[in-house]
Amino acid sequence: MEYERQYAQKSSVPETVQNFIRSLQKAIDCGNVNDIQVLYETNYPKLTERFYSNSPWPHPEEIAQFINLPDCGVDSNFITLYKELYYRHMYAKVSNALNIDHRFDSYYNYCDLFNMVVRSTTPLTLELPNQWLWEIIDEFIYQFQSFSHFRSSMEKLSEDDLMKFHNSPKVWNVHSVLNVLHTLVDKSNINQQLEVYTNGGDPDTVAGEFGRYPLYKMLGYFSLVGLLRLHSLLGDYYQAIKVLENIELNKKSLYSRVPACQISSYYYVGFAYMMMRRYADAIRTFSSVLLYIQRTRCLFFYKTYQTAQVDKQTEQMYHLLAICLSLYPQRIDESVLLQLRDKMGDKMLRMQQRNMDEFVSCFTFACPKFLSPVYPCSGQDGEHPDPKMATARLESVLLQGPFNQQLKVFKDEVAQQLALPTIRSYLKLYTTMPIAKLETFSFPLLLPPVEPLNLPPLEPPPPKEMEETEAQTKARLDQTETWNKNKAERKLQEQLYMDQCEEWERAAEKFPATLLANLLCFKSYLKICSFNPQATPPLRPR
Amino acid sequence: MSDIMPESNTSESLRATVSSMLRGIDRYNPENLVTLEKYLEVQTEENTYDLEANLAILKLYQFNPSYNKVSVVEKVLLKALANMPHTDMVLCKCLMDMSLFDHSSIKAILHLHDLLETCSFPDFWVSPSSLALLVPVMLDYCCSLRDEDFLAQIPAIKEVAEFEESIRKYVCHVINNTYQNVDRKFLCQQLGLRGPEERCLQYYMAEYGWKLSSDDYVFIANQEESIKTKNITEKIDFENVAPILASWR
Repeated sequence: MEYERQYAQKSSVPETVQNFIRSLQKAIDCGNVNDIQVLYETNYPKLTERFYSNSPWPHPEEIAQFINLPDCGVDSNFITLYKELYYRHMYAKVSNALNIDHRFDSYYNYCDLFNMVVRSTTPLTLELPNQWLWEIIDEFIYQFQSFSHFRSSMEKLSEDDLMKFHNSPKVWNVHSVLNVLHTLVDKSNINQQLEVYTNGGDPDTVAGEFGRYPLYKMLGYFSLVGLLRLHSLLGDYYQAIKVLENIELNKKSLYSRVPACQISSYYYVGFAYMMMRRYADAIRTFSSVLLYIQRTRCLFFYKTYQTAQVDKQTEQMYHLLAICLSLYPQRIDESVLLQLRDKMGDKMLRMQQRNMDEFVSCFTFACPKFLSPVYPCSGQDGEHPDPKMATARLESVLLQGPFNQQLKVFKDEVAQQLALPTIRSYLKLYTTMPIAKLETFSFPLLLPPVEPLNLPPLEPPPPKEMEETEAQTKARLDQTETWNKNKAERKLQEQLYMDQCEEWERAAEKFPATLLANLLCFKSYLKICSFNPQATPPLRPR
Repeated sequence: MSDIMPESNTSESLRATVSSMLRGIDRYNPENLVTLEKYLEVQTEENTYDLEANLAILKLYQFNPSYNKVSVVEKVLLKALANMPHTDMVLCKCLMDMSLFDHSSIKAILHLHDLLETCSFPDFWVSPSSLALLVPVMLDYCCSLRDEDFLAQIPAIKEVAEFEESIRKYVCHVINNTYQNVDRKFLCQQLGLRGPEERCLQYYMAEYGWKLSSDDYVFIANQEESIKTKNITEKIDFENVAPILASWR
């Protein structure tokens, strides 16, 4: 029996992998963070590439056979941790083999994991590298997002699946996810800690029994970033930004040592700023993180499964930066600008030319995967969803709805500002022109000016002489007559001119002077404020 | 939730209740809606504003679509509109239930928002009567400003300061930042002051320190004076370059 079991192990799990798992368990048991870090960040990806690049890691039950499971509870914790890795790897590498049971199982495993951390009456002695802790929280939200999309794609779901959803409404429910993150935040007192930390104090003074331990502290911190992401996915940008109120992104801190976390927070913060029309803040956020990526790329990003994600997010941020700069031109860091021109030159040009399609395509590429917190059946308390109801239309509403809503808001925003680049270019043109000159021009580019009325002075008829010949009288009368005729004609011309002027003024009123008002940010250009059709009537005959 | 709320709910205690309600995970409790909606009512009556509480309402609607009340969403949006130039409206739009976008009154409010954002003020003021029709909630406020005895209320204009008043504040803010000299008639048009109401212009001129520069023009501000040069802070101080300079000698 003993021999048989060993034989079976050998055939299914390679020796190196077994060794890896054993040493990982040992390192975690001893709380040797350095060892764990090496195993997790170097050996684990290597082994994954070698043995499991497109198949799942050994099932948790399999590994239970060759690790030592002493009586103490700590090691069922190890299985929970291993399971987290196992499912995370499955989501990343073998996602087409994922079925609903895996998703449910992974969720329950997260429940175990977080319960283990939170329910414990004394702080756990467990210590894990920050990178790992970050990836746990990040993956937790990713799987929630993935589940929401899975659940919304009605056509792919069997009746069996729907039944399962129906029977366990709590699984991957938005409230459950929020609850986990909030609980971790509260347990660690992270907000209080950060507040004290920012003010130069010692965070330990307010950390409480649990928050003093790195495990709790960092889980709390990453949960804040998790909440930022979750709120963004739900379109709640106000909360997204508010959640980070105690974090100073730009300040290098104890907490900012996980690059992927840094980058992810900047991405969501920048995106939220963009949606809130705080373009200057968004630009500052994006350009500082892109600069950071440029400089540290080679140092940090060895192969973790997150490399691809970081690359994608970087690309997305270039798109977002391009959008923001098209709407709100300003100077940014030279090296970022260079990269931006390189990658986005054509797109930016089109956006500056007010091409809405380009805005839409950039947004579509760069936005997060929005999701809806509710599903069709959860609204209708307990009613069994009729699969026939799951029409294609419903699916498109569910899947595309949240995205379409954010896109619509974004498009409305852009549409409202579409005239600004044109106005800005006029204003730019006029700043280089003194007002005196401007007055003579009025605004030729916008409205063709009325030709000034340049008529030669009319010669009045000669006065009546005391004594005049008949011929003279006749000539004088003739002249008077022509004069009168000319006068009438001139009056007509003047009338016409006046009409033209009035028409011009009416047109001038329609000129989007009111739109100028929108240019609050270009205050410096406004020294030519008398450049306003009402204040500068240049052609009106006085 | 309701038992926490004292019976004599002054707006102060209501505010305190709400702010404690929004802390932590409890903000997602749909039972809060009763209090939050009540609080919104108080905001519209007393012309106060609490964006966070109002967004919390929308969020609860997002999580529990069956609780959605169009009349409440309308008020939230109008309050957001009244708080321009802040972009509260955008935040609301991002959280609102998608189906609401097709609702006629919501559509009307969004249209008004569009007009205000693009500074098409005269167009905005042309529609208050239609605004009143579309948005029954605001009917009272509109009437109070359009009443025939409106002129008699000029000294008390601050007391009736409600929706239109808030919008005028926004218009004034824009004018203040944009114009140097402006035609009086034009100004009235922007502020939606028509006929006898034009006299109210005095009030705004006093409020914002605008002066009549001639019969027809109002002097807003000398915008040239408000141009600020950008402060360039040198990141490199002399001590950093001193060694380099020294090595040149």
